[in-house]
Parts: sequence; structure tokens; C-alpha cells
Amino acid sequence: MLKEIINLTLLQHTIRTATPLILAALGGLLTQHAGILNIGMEGMILLGAFFGIVGSYFFASSLAGVLLAVAVGVLIGLLFAYFVIDLKSDEFIIGIAINMFAGGLTVFLLRSIFGVKGAFSSPDIVPLPRFNFSFLDGIPVLDTIFNNHTVFVYVSWILVFLVYVYLYKTPYGIWLRASGEFPQALETAGVNPRKMKYISSIFCGIFCGFAGVHLSLGYLTLFTENMSANRGFIAMAAIIFGRAHPVKTLIAALMFGFFDALGIRLQVVGIPSQFTQMIPYLGTIVILFIVAKNHLSKRRKVIEGESYNE
Amino acid sequence: MKDKKNTEYLISLFLSIFASLIIGGFIMMANGRNPIVGYSSLINGAFGSKYNIATTLAKTVPLILTGLATSISFRSGIFNIGGEGQLYLGAFGAALIGITFVNLPAILGIPLAILFSAIAGGLYALLPAILKVKYRIDEVIVTIMLNTVAVLFTGYLVNYPFATDVGKLGATDIIADSYQLSRLVRLSTLNTSIFHVIVITIIMYYLLERTSIGYEIKMVGQNLNFSKYGGINVKGRMIFAMVVSGALCGIAGAFEVLGVHYRFLQHISPGYAWDGMLVALIVKNNPLGVVLMSIFFGALKTGSISMENATGIPSELISVIQSIIILFIAGEAGFKAKIKNYFAGKGRRKKVGEENA
Repeated sequence: MLKEIINLTLLQHTIRTATPLILAALGGLLTQHAGILNIGMEGMILLGAFFGIVGSYFFASSLAGVLLAVAVGVLIGLLFAYFVIDLKSDEFIIGIAINMFAGGLTVFLLRSIFGVKGAFSSPDIVPLPRFNFSFLDGIPVLDTIFNNHTVFVYVSWILVFLVYVYLYKTPYGIWLRASGEFPQALETAGVNPRKMKYISSIFCGIFCGFAGVHLSLGYLTLFTENMSANRGFIAMAAIIFGRAHPVKTLIAALMFGFFDALGIRLQVVGIPSQFTQMIPYLGTIVILFIVAKNHLSKRRKVIEGESYNE
Repeated sequence: MKDKKNTEYLISLFLSIFASLIIGGFIMMANGRNPIVGYSSLINGAFGSKYNIATTLAKTVPLILTGLATSISFRSGIFNIGGEGQLYLGAFGAALIGITFVNLPAILGIPLAILFSAIAGGLYALLPAILKVKYRIDEVIVTIMLNTVAVLFTGYLVNYPFATDVGKLGATDIIADSYQLSRLVRLSTLNTSIFHVIVITIIMYYLLERTSIGYEIKMVGQNLNFSKYGGINVKGRMIFAMVVSGALCGIAGAFEVLGVHYRFLQHISPGYAWDGMLVALIVKNNPLGVVLMSIFFGALKTGSISMENATGIPSELISVIQSIIILFIAGEAGFKAKIKNYFAGKGRRKKVGEENA
């Protein structure tokens, strides 16, 4: 039975399920560095998934789906930024509003455009192309890991690298981080923190759009109500786990993807999957606890040290 | 001064709702429907008959409870986003009592089930509250995470150890007859829980607006340092607010079981706690405002079905309208500042111009 659960399919599923988490988390960590907690990622992914289907269906091209999802991602990122940065609204209220807006709008449009309830699928939806590196054909493990994925699996890996370089190796990255940590300093340096926050928010919208398209045009070409299924929140968990570092966040997302895939495999053999599904959520709380506890004990030492000196 | 501020807010509130309904009307027109027909069938569907009014009120029950839950926690400055999870645990707790102590008479059983659900929800809120005050861990993130944990956990319970023998439903057995709250209007799910809700609302109003605890909770939320120096037990008040908040959400879950479904279902809440949170946010955590806004939201939900039947406009348009209201309200202070700045800027420019002349 163990063979039925732990095999190469599990590995492949892990990569598949981790991809939308990686993409969304990369977007979310950009806003995190800009000092914004974006809990609207859930809704942003959902919008991406829906408009990916719309674009692909009406223009008979998966690229059109991606472009439409990106356009919507930019718009929703701008909307989020305008409210949070310019109107100084509470970021988590706007996040909740975006999630609710996305949930309502996608179901509404699903019914008014396609006339269906629950789910929409059609042979006219063009899925994302899959890639195959022929030189890896037949090589056991590498073939499974690297071959026959949709384009966004590879995009997500490249983006991890790009985001890392952007954040830590370019002045823009320093500005972005400064806009969250110490905006006054950034302003003194002649850079507008508002602009950096806007950019991070727009990219968050785009990356979440990618994540959504991967869900709806990736392996199954369909849209179902509430298809983001908490992935925005798991992505947030991955960011917290990885302490907003792109590579560490990638590892966290892969780990959560693994537990998700494991849950599916367990269900196949009739073992309750709920507990493996809980791991990202409980794990996040544990991590927060450990970080906070270390932080507190450090602070205590500092205070004790000070009083000793006196 | 306070009155002026309140009036100003009421004006913004009505403008926001009005603007959102207008946007909704444009969406209807874009779909080739007549918004006047749409909205009149909505109003008719919400209040047109005894049955419709009853259905509207039935929809307000969970909204009022989760809205009040949000009010007390947000007032104290500790943000309970975990209402959905607390609701699920409370609902399961009530069902558990209802299928375990089947021989208890209603007069003992129903209060026991409600109490147990309140304890379940309250304890589930206690954890993030302690993490917040003791370790300064962001309660927003913790409660969001705990939501899914509770949904998964109860999902496990009703699919495995407590699954009903009759069919594979993802549900518990039906609770004993004595636990089932009686229905008030034929065919509608409105039940006697509405009377419990009235009592709870009065208690919560009294607690928040008329007691020193309520005052202290408000002070803690408005000015933490001031409260500390003023001698308020800040941590204690935050924990109290959070636990009461969780208990109210738990009770909301109990009424879904005792009054509506008569059993716990895997997906028992379509997001009541989120809706309740929006309700509280719109009325700035005012308990009476929560009641009025819950009725408004309940009416929109109930009416949207009639609107769909009459005009073919999908009922989900309502959630779009609701989220637009939230956006307007959340941006209200910002919009106001922008408008004031705009006029101030205009005035200044004029002055400069005059000086030049």
C-alpha cells in the first residue's frame, strides 16, 4: 500500500500543486517586503483562473487567456494599491473585500456569460502548452520531475530566481524593501515609497493571475466556483514560513504542495486526508510561535543585560 | 462634535449603498435587463409576503450573531477573522450534544447545546488571543489559518467517527426531536432562535454601550497606551473580547444546527462569519447598526432569488454589490480626505491668483 502512496506520481503531483502556491507566494512576498499584508491573494487567484478561461475560450488561444488574466491582475493590483496606499484603508479589509468581490463576480459572470452554475468546461478552451525536453525522455526520475509540465511550472522556477535577484541584487529591490521597512529613509534618498508599493501590488496581481491560469488552463481545462480553494491563504502561509525570502518560500510552497499531493494519494487508498491538509495551517502557527518566542527571549536578554549594567 | 461625525458617517454610508446599488443597476443593464424591474422584484422577494419576510429574518440570524462577534473583537483592537472556524466548531458541538443526550427534555437540552457551542467557539478563539497578548503573534494570520483547520477537522469528524449511517452525506445523524427549535412560519426556516438572538443582542448592546467593561474594551481598541496608563487590564480585556466573539460565532453555528438543518453538515456555513464581519465593518461595530445592516443584507440575499426568478439576473450579483459597498466604506475616510484636499487646494490656488491680481 505504501507503494501506492509514495511513488513518482506523488512527486509529479507535488510539483503541479506547488506551482500556483509558488506563483502567488512570490507575488505576496513582494507586497510583504513593501510592508503590506495581502490577504486578497485568494480572490486574485480566482479572478485569474476565471479570466484565463474567458480569454482562452473566446479567442481560441491559451496566450489570450494568460494575457486577459494578467490584465485583470494588473487592474485588481491597482485597485488594491489605490485603496491601501492612497486612501489608507485597512489592508486586510480591502483584502477581504477583494476575496468576496472575486467570489461573487466569477460566479455571476459564470452564469451570465456561460449560462452555467458550478463549473464550466468546453472543448473550445485551449489549454496551456506542455513542455517536453526530449533529451530527458526515459531517464527515470528527471523525466518525471522536469517533463510534461505546463509552461507555468517552469515560469515559477524562473520567477523565483528573478525575484531573488530583483530583491537582493538590484537597487530596485533595496528600494522595495526600504519602502516597507523604513519609508522615510527611502524618501530622503529621493525615491517615492508609494511608487514601490504600487509596483509590488501590481506584480502581486499579475503573479496571482498566473497562479489562477495554471489552475484553470493547466491540467484540467475548466473553471469551478471557488476554485482557488484556499490557495491564497496557503501561499500566505508559505511566505510566513519562508520569512518572505524567495528561495525559502519556494521550499515552503513545495512542502505544502507535497502535503496536498499526499492528501490526494491518501484519499485514493481511503485514508482521511484532512490531517495532511491541515499541516500548512498548523505549521504556520507553530512557526509564528517559534519566531515570536525567540524574539521575545532575545528581547528579555537585552533588557536583563541593561538592568545588569545599571 | 460626535453627533456631527455620526451624521457625516451616516451620509457616507447611504451614499455608498446608493452608489453600489446604482453600479448594480448598470450591471443589470449591461446584461440587457431592466434594473427597475430587477430591484422591485428584489424588494418584493424580500418583504412581499409573510413567507418572504420570515425568510429574510431567518437569513439575518447568523449575520447578527457573527456581526456582533466581530463588533466586540474589532472594538477591542483584536481582529477575530476566525469566526468561520468558531462557527463550525460550535455547530458541531451543538450537534454532538443533540445526538448524544437524546433523552434530555428541551428545556435542559437546548440551553446545554447552546452553552456547549459557545464554549467550543470561545475556546477556539482563546488560543489566538493568548498568542496575541502573550507572544505578540498577529491574530489575523492565526485566525485565518485556524478557520481552515476547523473546517477540515469537523469534515473529518462527520466523514469518519460521526458519519451518519443513512447515506454518505458528510453529516451527523439528525439531532433528537427535543433539540429541534420550532419553525415559526410555514415553509420558511425561521425558527425560535430569532428570540434567542433578540435577547443576545440586548445583552451585547448593554455590555458594549452601558457597562464599564464595554467602555474599557472601546478604550483599549482606540488607544492602547492611554488605556495602559489609565489602569485598564488591557490584556484581560482583549482576551475577554476575543472569547466572547468566538462564543457568539459558536452560537451562530448552534442555531444553524438546532433551527435549520437539525444536523451538522460538512459545509454548513456558506461564509456567514465573513458576511457578518462585513456587516460589522460597514456600521463601524455599532451593535444596533449590526442588526439593521443584517436585515438589509438578509433582505438582499432573500430578494436576490426572486430577482433571479423574475428577470434571470443571477442572484450572485448581490455579493458583487455587497463587496462594492465594503470597498466604498473602507475607502470612506480616504475619499473624504481626498475631496477635502481637492477643495482646499482649489481655494489656495484661487487665493494665490487673487494676490497676484
